[in-house]
Amino acid sequence: MTAKPDAIVESGAAPLGVSARPPRSLIRAFWPIAVTAAMLALVPLRLGDSRYLMGLAVDALVFGAYAIAFNVIFGSTNQLFLCVGALAGVGGYTSAILSDRAGLPMVAGMLLATALATALGGLLSWVAVRRSLDVIFTGIVTLAFSLSFASLLLGQRNLTGGETGLLVSAGVGTFLQDRVAAYYLFLGMLVAFLVVFRVLQRSHIGWAFRALRDNELSAELAGIDVARYRVYAGLIGSAMLGITGAVFAHSDGFISPSTFDFGHVDVRVLVMLAFGGLGTLLGPVVGTVVFAVMDEILIDFGQLRTILYGLLIIALFLGFKRGAVPAVADFLRPLARRARSWVRRPL
Amino acid sequence: MLEVSGLAAGYLGENVVEGVDVEVGAGQAVAIIGSNGAGKSTLFRAVCGLLPVAAGRVRFDGADITRRPTHHIARAGLAYVPAERHLFPGMSVRENLMLGAYPGRPDPSAERLVFDLFPRLNQRRGQPAGSLSGGEQQMLAVGRALMSRPRLLMLDEPTTGLAPKLAQSAYAALRVLKERGVTLLVAEQQVPLALSLADRGYVLENGRIRLQGASQDLARNSEVRRAYLGVA
Amino acid sequence: MKASILDGIVLGLQFGLLGVGMTLVYGLGGVLNLAYGQIAVLAAMVVAITLTAGAPTLVAAGAGLLAGAATSVVLDRTLMRPVYRQRGERRVLLGLLLTLGVAFVIDGLLTWRYPTGTLRLGIGGEPVPVLGIGMRVGSLWATGVSLAVAALLLLFRATTPGRAAHAVIQDEVGARLVGINPAAVRTLIFAASGTLAALVAETRSMTSPVTVTAGFDFTILALIVAVVGGLGNVAGAFLAGVLLGIVSTLSAFYIGQYITTIVLLAAAALTILLRPRGLLGRSP
Repeated sequence: MTAKPDAIVESGAAPLGVSARPPRSLIRAFWPIAVTAAMLALVPLRLGDSRYLMGLAVDALVFGAYAIAFNVIFGSTNQLFLCVGALAGVGGYTSAILSDRAGLPMVAGMLLATALATALGGLLSWVAVRRSLDVIFTGIVTLAFSLSFASLLLGQRNLTGGETGLLVSAGVGTFLQDRVAAYYLFLGMLVAFLVVFRVLQRSHIGWAFRALRDNELSAELAGIDVARYRVYAGLIGSAMLGITGAVFAHSDGFISPSTFDFGHVDVRVLVMLAFGGLGTLLGPVVGTVVFAVMDEILIDFGQLRTILYGLLIIALFLGFKRGAVPAVADFLRPLARRARSWVRRPL
Repeated sequence: MLEVSGLAAGYLGENVVEGVDVEVGAGQAVAIIGSNGAGKSTLFRAVCGLLPVAAGRVRFDGADITRRPTHHIARAGLAYVPAERHLFPGMSVRENLMLGAYPGRPDPSAERLVFDLFPRLNQRRGQPAGSLSGGEQQMLAVGRALMSRPRLLMLDEPTTGLAPKLAQSAYAALRVLKERGVTLLVAEQQVPLALSLADRGYVLENGRIRLQGASQDLARNSEVRRAYLGVA
Repeated sequence: MKASILDGIVLGLQFGLLGVGMTLVYGLGGVLNLAYGQIAVLAAMVVAITLTAGAPTLVAAGAGLLAGAATSVVLDRTLMRPVYRQRGERRVLLGLLLTLGVAFVIDGLLTWRYPTGTLRLGIGGEPVPVLGIGMRVGSLWATGVSLAVAALLLLFRATTPGRAAHAVIQDEVGARLVGINPAAVRTLIFAASGTLAALVAETRSMTSPVTVTAGFDFTILALIVAVVGGLGNVAGAFLAGVLLGIVSTLSAFYIGQYITTIVLLAAAALTILLRPRGLLGRSP
C-alpha cells in the first residue's frame, strides 16, 4: 500500500482487522505533525521578546486547537456544532469559578471543567442522534445553546462578572502566565490533538467516520452504529474544547463573554477551516497561521475587517468546496508526481 | 410533432441513454417499451428538461426545445406525467387541477373532461391529494396534466402500482384521449397494454433503441415476444 | 398584567411578520437567510438617512421598503444562484454559509459608515386608551400596519403568484411541470421577505430605537419564530410570533432580560427536539 506523498490530505483507510503495522508507515503517518511542531517551536525564538506578539501567537495556537476540535466533530461526522466557543467557555469559566470561588486547586478545577464540557458536548451529540436531527436542526440547537450560554454569562453577574468579565487569579505567578512557556504548553496541546486526530484517522473509528460521512444509510446497513460514533466524535471534540478553554483562562488571566462568543470564535474557526481544509489533518494549522497573520495585518482596518471576513467566507465556500488548501493540493499533486517521475528517470 | 434525434443523457457524467431517435406525429399514440433500467425515465426526463441533455436534439412542433427549462416546455403544450407524479400533497384535488392550468384560469370544459374521464376525482374534489390512494393519485396526475389542454401528453409508466383492473381502465381513458386528438407518448413496462393503445412503438434496451415499428409488427416480432411477452 | 399582554401582542404581531419573511424563503428554497436581520437594519438606515435629508415620513418609509426588496433581489439573483443549483443538505449548508458571509459584509459596511446609526420613527401624541390601558400612539400605528400587512399576506395566497409560491413549496418539480418558473417565484418571495424585514424594522422603531448593531438579533429572532411556527409555514410563523411576543414581554417584565433571551432560544430548541414540524407544520 503506497502512502500518498503529501499527507496533508487524508491518507487511505486502514482496513478493519489490520493490527500489525510496519514501523516505516508510522513515520510516514506522523512526520507532518513532527515537522509542523518543529516549525512552530521556532516561533518564540523570533518573537519571544515581544509580549504582544507572543500573546498573538498563543491566541493563534488556541484557535488552532479549537479548529482541530471542530474538525473532529464536524469534519469527521457532519455534526454542525455552532457552539465551539461556548464549549470552550464552559471549560474556561467553570475552571476559573471553581478555582477562584470554590477554592479548588487549579488543576482539579481544570479537569472538572473539561469533564463538564465533555459531558455537555456529548449530551448535545446524543440528543441530536436520538432525535435524528439533520444538519440544519443540529446547527440551530447548538446555536441556541451557544447564545443561551452567552446570556447566562451576562445575566449571572455575581458569579461570572457579567459583561465586564472575570479576572482569573488561580494561575497568577505560575509558568502559565509567562507567554513563552504558555506558548510551548499550547503547542504541546496542539500537537497532542493532532496526534489524536491522526490516530483516529488511522483506526477503525476513523474508518467508521469516513463511512458514515460518505453515506449514512449504507454505513448503518454495513453494521456501523452511526449513533455511537457520532457521540464519540462529540465527546472527543468537546473534551479538546473544554481543556483548551480551561487552560487558556488561567494562562491569559482574564476572560469575558466576548472571549468565547459565537461571532468571535465560531465564525473564525469556520473560516479557518474553510481555508485550510475541512476534514484534513493540518488544515486547521494552515488556516490558523494564515489567519493570525492576516488578522494582524488588518488590525488597523477596524470594521473593514468584518467586511473582509464576510467576503472571504463567500469566496471560499463558493470557490472551494473542501477548502482552499486541498484545492491547491489537488492542483499541485499531478505536478508533483510528474516532477518525481522526472527525478527518477534513468540518466 | 415531437422529434428526438441522437439524444444522450445520464447522471454524474455517465450516459444512461445514447443515440436515441424517436418521432411522434400529430394525433399518434407512440409507446416506448423496455424493462426496468432500460432508460425510459431518463429519456423522458431529458426530453422535458428535468435532466440535462448530454448530446442530441429535441424538437417540438419544429421548435428546438433541447435545453429549455421544464416550465417553458410545459407552457409550449407538452405535458409530462412522471412516474413519481409530483402532486401537491397538501392541496386539494381541485387545487391541484386548477394549478394544472397555470398561469391561466382553469377552463371549465377542461375540468369537465377530467371529471368525465375520472369520476372518482370529482367525488374527492375537496380532499388533500396526499390522502388519495395510488390509483386516484395517478388519475389526478393525468388530470392535472390535461388541464392545460396539452398538444402532446407524455406519461412515464402510468400503471405503476395499479391493480390490473385499474391499469385497464387507465388505458381506456388514454384511448378516449387519443380519440379526442391528444397526441400520446407512453413509456411502459407492461407491453401488451402499451401496444394495444399505440400505433407505433420503440423498444429501448440498455439505453439504446433496438427495434421500432408499427405496434402490430412489434407484437408479432419474435424477440419482443420472447423478452417482454414471456412467450418462447 | 393586562398591559403586558397587550404590549406582548403588539410585539408579537411584529415578531410574526419577521418570522414570515424568514420562513417563506426557507419554504421556497431550503435556504435559511442569515443576512435577514442585516437587510432589516440596512432598510432602517436608509429610512434614517432619507429622513435626515428632509424627506417626508411616508417617502422615507417607502424608501426603506424599497431598499429591503432591492437588496434581497440582488442577493437572490447573484449569490443564491449557485446555492439553488445544489440539492438537499448541501444546499442548506451552502445557503447558510453564504448568507452568513453576506451578513458580515452588510454589518461591517453599516457599522463602518454609520457607527452610531439609529432609527427612531417617533410618532407623538397622547396615549390612547384601549381596553382600559393607555397605549402609545407608536404602538397603535405599529399594530395597525402589522394587521394590514397580515391581511395582505392572506389575500396574496389567492393570487396567481401566491398559488405559484405555494405550489413550489409543496413540490418544486410538480410546479415546474405545470409551467411555474421556480426561479422567478423565488426572486419574488425573496423580495417580499426583504420588504417584510424592512417593514418590521420600521414598525419596531415606532416604539423603540433600532440601532445599526441590531442585525444579528433580528435574524435570531426571525429564526426562532420560524422554527417554532414550523419552517415553511406562514400561518405558523404568525401564530408563533404572537405567542412568543406575549411570552417574551411577560418574561421580561416579571423575570429579566437575559432570562427572556434564554426562554426564546429554549422555545426554538425544544420545538426542534420535541415537535420538529413546529406549531402548524405538516407532519412528515
